[in-house]
Amino acid sequence: MNLDLCFELDFGQFNLAIKQSLSLQGITGVFGHSGSGKSSLLRAIAGLEKNLVGEVFLNNTQLTNSKTNTFIKAEHRHIGLVFQEARLFPHLNVLDNLKFAVKRCDQPRLKLNKIIELAELGSLLPKHVDELSGGQKQRVALARAILAEPKLLLLDEPMSALDRQAKASLLKLILKIQSELQLPMLYVSHSLDELQQVCDNLLVLAQGKVIGYGGIHQMIHQLNYSQTNAQEDGFIDQQTSLSLPIKTPNNGHGLAVLSLSALLNVNVNNGEDEEIYLPAFEQHLTQDNKQTLRCFILARDISISLTEPLNSSIVNHLLVNISAINTKGNNVLVTALYGKKGNEQEFFVAISTFSQQKLALNIGLKVYLQFKASAVRTYLY
Amino acid sequence: MINPDLLALYTTLKMAALTTVILLLIGTPLAWFLAKMQSRFKVLIEAIVALPLVLPPTVLGFYLLIAFSPQYLPGQLWQQATGQQLAFSFAAIVIGSVLYSLPFVVQPLQKAFEQLGEPLLEAGSMLGAGPIDRFFNIVLPMTKASFITAASLGFAHTVGEFGVILMIGGNIPGETRVLSIALFDHVEAFDYAKAHVLAISLLAGSMVLLAAIYLLNMPKTKTEKRLSNES
Repeated sequence: MNLDLCFELDFGQFNLAIKQSLSLQGITGVFGHSGSGKSSLLRAIAGLEKNLVGEVFLNNTQLTNSKTNTFIKAEHRHIGLVFQEARLFPHLNVLDNLKFAVKRCDQPRLKLNKIIELAELGSLLPKHVDELSGGQKQRVALARAILAEPKLLLLDEPMSALDRQAKASLLKLILKIQSELQLPMLYVSHSLDELQQVCDNLLVLAQGKVIGYGGIHQMIHQLNYSQTNAQEDGFIDQQTSLSLPIKTPNNGHGLAVLSLSALLNVNVNNGEDEEIYLPAFEQHLTQDNKQTLRCFILARDISISLTEPLNSSIVNHLLVNISAINTKGNNVLVTALYGKKGNEQEFFVAISTFSQQKLALNIGLKVYLQFKASAVRTYLY
Repeated sequence: MINPDLLALYTTLKMAALTTVILLLIGTPLAWFLAKMQSRFKVLIEAIVALPLVLPPTVLGFYLLIAFSPQYLPGQLWQQATGQQLAFSFAAIVIGSVLYSLPFVVQPLQKAFEQLGEPLLEAGSMLGAGPIDRFFNIVLPMTKASFITAASLGFAHTVGEFGVILMIGGNIPGETRVLSIALFDHVEAFDYAKAHVLAISLLAGSMVLLAAIYLLNMPKTKTEKRLSNES
């Protein structure tokens, strides 16, 4: 599914100008800080912003074209939107909120009961919406949006008001829905952690303009440089973003094991499988054992050693090649490559200029990266 | 022969009921329009709607009397269309009542529509609900209490109307002689006993109507209280 955007939206003090074609497969994240225009972008796609100048095409269907005065109303676009606040109808109970969507669906294919089961809403059906917790409300809102059977689902920071546990549960539900229904989603958030967990691609906005679009890991790694190259101080927490095959969720010592070699399809370390350890989590692995885990390691949580740190309690150490050194003030961002040429994984390390000079780090130098198991973070488990 | 006071009661109820229905039909879209309007002319329209709240009824009645007379366009048009004179007719007191009670219906509805805002309507349109669907299935159930209040206030205010009706309707039994006029008649004739009956009936009727509004709006509040306590 393709979404072609070429429009401007003028809000007086703020101007949103988007020119971008998106290939909507899986979940596409839209990242940016408050006021970057993320929500306005979704509203423009949804048909809730009528004053835009330009065009919006979904799969070659013209949704908006200001030149020809074409504007398909929101209710006719077959696009779903889950808002930041659940926006459930307070005069209806949970079941009737869900039925509201079903009744207005032209050709319902999804079974109401299937979605209720998928979103685990069975026990909530007779409840009044005021009785629900924030997480439950968003689950109902998500189920309701899906029952309208949209071609594209937009999610506008649906988790901003939820605690960590509720967020993890809703993220899992979003992933489950995506995999079962193959529904393309556009997911807006200012939390890169959330997006890193669920998105396949990432669109980055700043001050009403697109500043990047690409694969999730690649985009996050590009954003690492924005901190050292541009004025965007504190744009993101510099990090290494990974999807690694799970070898075991618990090795019997409280650690989960991921395979780095399997990701790169190479054996780098003398034929041994290079493993990454992190705190154990509960996960039922399927037979084919091909499940992967999204995780990230903050650049400030990795340190560099010139010799192999064999006598250390730190469980993760990797032999890497320094490929770039970016300095801003007293902060240095070291980019290091693990693996063989053409089949490499980038790692990012934040150190001080003091350490860089002490270790005499240079591009091309082989060094060891080390990081604790607890530095390998994941959001869902 | 029917009791003149009962006939006045019938005329009053017929006028108030018809006025309320017309007020809801006109007042709802007007209130919606005002709630959504962002132009600076909004203030002007709001002031015109609210005018009967401050204007002496006799002033409104006087201008309506002139407008309804066959010498002026509204009166002429009515006469051409119906063949009857508009001034001093039942239709005249209904039109006068609609104008006189308009703010009592428009204002609570406008406030309710403004408070409802756009969020739930946007949610409705994202689920495929068009404007009429959204009005009947989101707006109406969500603002039910305000509709009840608006209708009741419009009805009660029309029942209690005197100045406008006296000016444009006169005192024609079965046509324009309503309870408030009948009461005035009794007082003028020093028939205080009959005046008392009508006055007390109007007082009690108004009390019952207002109590009914509060009663209708109360259970919902109780349920909401219970629900919020439970959660």
